[in-house]
Amino acid sequence: MDMVSVCKTDEVAPGTSLRVEIDGLPPLAVFNVDDEFFVIDDTCTHGDASLCDGEIEDGQVECPWHNARFCIKTGKALTFPAVVPQKTYVVRVLDGTVHIEKND
Amino acid sequence: MTDRFHIKLAGGNVAFDCASDDTLLRGGLRQGLGLAYECNVGACGSCKFDLVDGEVDDLFPAAPGLKPKERERGKRLACQCVPRSDCTIKIRSGEEYVSDHVPRKMQARLIAKRALTHDISEFSFATGEAAQFLPGQYALLRLEGIGQARAYSMSNLANADGTWQFIIRKVPAGIVSNALFDTLQVGSELELDGPYGIAYLRPQIPRPIVCIAGGSGLAPVLSIIRGTRDAGGLRGIPQLLYGGRGPGDIPDIAAMLSVSGVEAGIHPVVSMPELAPVAAWSGDVGFVHEFVPKKLGQPLTAYEYYLAGPPPMIEACVRMLVAEHNVPSTQIHFDRFF
Ligand SMILES: Cc1cc2nc3c(=O)[nH]c(=O)nc-3n(C[C@H](O)[C@H](O)[C@H](O)COP(=O)(O)OP(=O)(O)OC[C@H]3O[C@@H](n4cnc5c(N)ncnc54)[C@H](O)[C@@H]3O)c2cc1C
Ligand code: FES
Repeated sequence: MDMVSVCKTDEVAPGTSLRVEIDGLPPLAVFNVDDEFFVIDDTCTHGDASLCDGEIEDGQVECPWHNARFCIKTGKALTFPAVVPQKTYVVRVLDGTVHIEKND
Repeated sequence: MTDRFHIKLAGGNVAFDCASDDTLLRGGLRQGLGLAYECNVGACGSCKFDLVDGEVDDLFPAAPGLKPKERERGKRLACQCVPRSDCTIKIRSGEEYVSDHVPRKMQARLIAKRALTHDISEFSFATGEAAQFLPGQYALLRLEGIGQARAYSMSNLANADGTWQFIIRKVPAGIVSNALFDTLQVGSELELDGPYGIAYLRPQIPRPIVCIAGGSGLAPVLSIIRGTRDAGGLRGIPQLLYGGRGPGDIPDIAAMLSVSGVEAGIHPVVSMPELAPVAAWSGDVGFVHEFVPKKLGQPLTAYEYYLAGPPPMIEACVRMLVAEHNVPSTQIHFDRFF
């Protein structure tokens, strides 16, 4: 199991997100929800929009284009027009760095 | 007097001219640009934009396609804003939004009105020029004296005579549908602006076609089924599932299609059989999406889907197809009748 470093924890304040591009992976969205870090794919499964441009509320992120909401923790598509969940990643925070497990 | 303003798209050198009585969306589409949209009536939010520079008027500030929070942040809907000056806007675009037939405003004369059920009628209009549109597209109809236009899908096919047919449901207390049924007389004119819409028939895709419609959603799927006649590469007989409340809501679809010489499998479903006027209903009872897996012979991933009707019906169908049966969303085309 490869661990990939994604960003520093202090780059993502509570209640915000950060879009990260890493070679070999789709664009990622890192969320800080009450100091807990979550990483999901950044591009909405419905339309071609970045979830990092979306509103974050109650552990959910709303796509800025069609207002579909996703659960940040599980990736579940909560409202139409999205029906396909966002891919989620297993996160490890080590020494102030957010890592994800990369399984091929 | 109508002025024309110069509208620049931020972050590039694309620009278009827009009349002061045209919305930014329609102005752009008329000039062949692929500005993102779906409904054209302020409900879906697909045409959101940021006004970088310039001034616009919002024709429908209460439009449900934007949340109050988004408005506070300066977001607007391109289908509801007309320019008041030259502008720079930031808006999404894509090839799929470019119209094969550039939309135009025309005068259309009502030439026939024919009842199909107790509250659904077929309206036929004539324009002075050829009717050019793709099967499944819609037009905006605007009546003299009513400022607001409404979207209605064509049920026929493009033709040189300039005939545009619509299947319209009379909505209780609805402003435009009631005016069409009660006020508009054969011989009267209205403004027809079109074609619009991205849920049109993809004839190059050979997968067999399944149409799912409910309520007033019959028109575009009839056009699509009629359109398969000229699309030689398509495999199989198109299937149509149509949902209505009671038996009296189901028009004689077989008769309508046989006139145009196309074959289709027709599967009506009613949700409230107790509404039967005289004879009892012996057909399927339930919601139309529940019958899709039962009526089709192959795995659901084998088909191309065209959906039209009330937003909750569309949502139930798309969820069923994508989440339960793994149909790729790219195989599903829909118009939500807001
Ligand atoms: C893409 C599309 C295709 C459609 N195709 C068909 C069809 O083939 N057949 C059919 O019967 N119906 C169709 N509809 C529905 C149709 O457009 C009307 O919504 C319906 O006829 C009710 O209109 P009404 O004026 O009678 O009702 P109303 O209740 O008076 O109006 C409802 C509609 O008007 C909009 N509206 C309210 N205020 C304003 C305002 N200030 N400015 C602009 N809009 C406003 C609402 O958002 C809502 O969409 C379609 C809708 C869409 C979006
Ligand atoms: S296209 Fe403007 S809100 Fe739907």
